[in-house]
Amino acid sequence: MADNKISTDMWEKVDMSTLDKEVIARKSLTYWQDAWRRLKKNHLSMIGLFFIVLMTLLAILGPFFSRYSYSDQNLELGNIGPTMEIYQIDDNDFVYMNKEYKLVEVTEDGHISKRLVPTDEDMMQKYRSYEIDGKEVVIDYSFAVAAKKSGDPDAKKFEIRVNGDVIDIHDKVFNKTYWFGSDSLGRDLYIRVVYGARISLLIALVATIVNFFIGVLYGGVAGYTGGKTDNVMMRIVDVIATVPLLLYVIMLMVIFEPGLKTIMIALGTVYWVNMARLVRGQILSIKEQEFVLAAKTLGASSWRILVRHLIPNAMGPIIVSLAMLIPSAIFTEAFLSFIGLGVNAPMASWGTLANDAVAGLRTYPYQLFFPALFISITVLAFNFLGDGLRDALDPRLRK
Amino acid sequence: MSSKSNNEVLLEVKNLKKYFEINKGFFGRSKEYVQAVDDISFFIRKGETLGLVGESGCGKSTTGRTIIRLYEPTAGEIIYDGVDISELSENDLKPYRKKIQMIFQDPYASLNSRMTVGDIIGESLDIHGIATGAARQERVFDLLNRVGLSKDHASRYPHEFSGGQRQRIGIARALAVDPEFIICDEPISALDVSIQAQVVNMLDDLQKEYGLTYLFIAHDLSMVKHISDRIGVMYLGKLVEVTDRNELYDSPEHPYTQALLSAIPIPDPEVTRNAQRIILEGDVPSPINPPSGCRFRTRCSYAMERCAEEEPVLREVNEGHFVACHLMDEKFPITE
Ligand SMILES: Nc1ncnc2c1ncn2[C@@H]1O[C@H](COP(=O)(O)OP(=O)(O)OP(=O)(O)O)[C@@H](O)[C@H]1O
Ligand code: SF4
Ligand SMILES: [Mg+2]
Repeated sequence: MADNKISTDMWEKVDMSTLDKEVIARKSLTYWQDAWRRLKKNHLSMIGLFFIVLMTLLAILGPFFSRYSYSDQNLELGNIGPTMEIYQIDDNDFVYMNKEYKLVEVTEDGHISKRLVPTDEDMMQKYRSYEIDGKEVVIDYSFAVAAKKSGDPDAKKFEIRVNGDVIDIHDKVFNKTYWFGSDSLGRDLYIRVVYGARISLLIALVATIVNFFIGVLYGGVAGYTGGKTDNVMMRIVDVIATVPLLLYVIMLMVIFEPGLKTIMIALGTVYWVNMARLVRGQILSIKEQEFVLAAKTLGASSWRILVRHLIPNAMGPIIVSLAMLIPSAIFTEAFLSFIGLGVNAPMASWGTLANDAVAGLRTYPYQLFFPALFISITVLAFNFLGDGLRDALDPRLRK
Repeated sequence: MSSKSNNEVLLEVKNLKKYFEINKGFFGRSKEYVQAVDDISFFIRKGETLGLVGESGCGKSTTGRTIIRLYEPTAGEIIYDGVDISELSENDLKPYRKKIQMIFQDPYASLNSRMTVGDIIGESLDIHGIATGAARQERVFDLLNRVGLSKDHASRYPHEFSGGQRQRIGIARALAVDPEFIICDEPISALDVSIQAQVVNMLDDLQKEYGLTYLFIAHDLSMVKHISDRIGVMYLGKLVEVTDRNELYDSPEHPYTQALLSAIPIPDPEVTRNAQRIILEGDVPSPINPPSGCRFRTRCSYAMERCAEEEPVLREVNEGHFVACHLMDEKFPITE
């Protein structure tokens, strides 16, 4: 088989010093720098990120901008919307009439002073009279019945007479006292929404921590150990995953009081199972790769291999699924609070705010609008960010 | 390069088996085994290079990985420097993790893409507490230098390097613990032909400089020729022939070795004229249900009745020349 014609001296030694010692021209980018660069190009994600940051700042700093606390109530000033139609009585007297045909003294630019006390009031004749700065102000709402019968939403329901003359709306101004309006108990909706943001972000934080420290480690250990341990661990996950969250929360209520703590315990004990499954799957596919074998031949401990090699390489999918799990955790809390299994009054979460608003929805829609808006923005923001992260962290897109 | 070995045996593998269990059927009730490595024995002397060749899937990597205890051996002994390491616990194995190292086939999968080159090379220094701080950095730079890379490569990430450079990073990682024995699992197969020689030369230089011993795995004979002192040929989990490099090329005895050798293209018309190409027919049978008797019989043109019934044993037919084939009984009768 003689290829003995080729001998060693026919091979030419390449001088090592000339090889690849030149510097690599491109700027060195780590995986994360590269991902960030790609994420920045995704506008929706950046908008999402912006709103998340904004929401976080609001939750932290929001209360400093308000004179009220979430539990301060003023029954006299309930159900005032974020915009007010005000009437001018004379040069420096302005009033706002609420949906119950009662007058509230306001300033021209929208600050609320106090509820006015009527001098005379007749429920049968459907009128109410006030004395303001020497003038007699009469609210006649006897047209309301006829307007309702006619079915025409624009029909005239009342008139306000000052010393006998009918006056018209002076201006529509923003409520400077209660930016988002007040609820039926006269609590400031703005501060309650801000506290709701605190709760939602707290839930997001709990979900993140739980997913990270339980989900990732549990899945990582199961995937890396493999065999029987893996089998047992994943069957436990299957069992936890089959119990509906709602049922589980109700069962927990039997042991603990309903409230934020219970929701956090509920989320904390079951919310990591999907993450555990995902991580296990990732680890199973990574652990056969040669760099893991290389670490083993170097004598790395299992823990080191898991923490230094396996989990960092599964980080992309972990972060993406985290960004997707957070909004669902926030939504779950809102939902549980909405159906009455959440935080206790007077504490407010977006879910309880929405629930409170439902009763007066037709008359005071703004009370539902704000919590719903915040839930939507937050959930959408996380989803947009998650989408962008998936694209940015997908190794197939790396160049 | 064959004179560099002395006679001291560094590694002896005796009747090594590695079967992989695979579950088939519902709930894994019927178990089957992939006989990836089935009863192989060989030895490597200090300072020499044993080339191990065979087609894809014949169990070369499994052999290497079992020796270094990445896989638990199913049976057999792995005697390293007089100690059987086949059953040592991970703890007792730790000193051997420094003595035995491995270089991997895939330059892309063998480096952790989330770590800098410096951390990849320095990881073993942390694990074994060999060096910290400035000393560690010094050592990393030194290792980079040894494999022809520069020290500002230490802060870069693997994806910034070419295949050949990555393979050299892998070599630097293996060298970090000052090993005695390195298993090179097809270190050049995934590289461009133009840089294969570069890496082989480097391994050769390192061997001379540090007195390293290699088990050099490749899937065809042309790749191991220049670096090996002795060569072993594997077929379907079995070692069919082991001998000196020159003897193997000049007088191959096993029909499979002959076929492999004839497949090497020869850039010399004079030689090509009288060389006959033996073409192997059929596919490699499954290692789950290997053929009875001689595993090569389904593709062997000399196959006899006896080959299906009796498994040929690896026998020394000439000094240092081991062959497992029934044809040998006639050609080299057992003398006693
Ligand atoms: N972890 C495993 N589980 C089950 N079967 C395996 C495993 N690893 C390898 N095998 C099987 O064992 C046999 C030998 O594989 P091995 O990787 O040792 O071959 P090889 O000679 O290195 O091939 P290649 O040249 O492709 O690297 C193959 O049939 C393979 O499918
Ligand atoms: S033992 Fe028989 S089948 Fe196997 S290689 Fe020799 S002749 Fe061929
Ligand atoms: Mg292989």
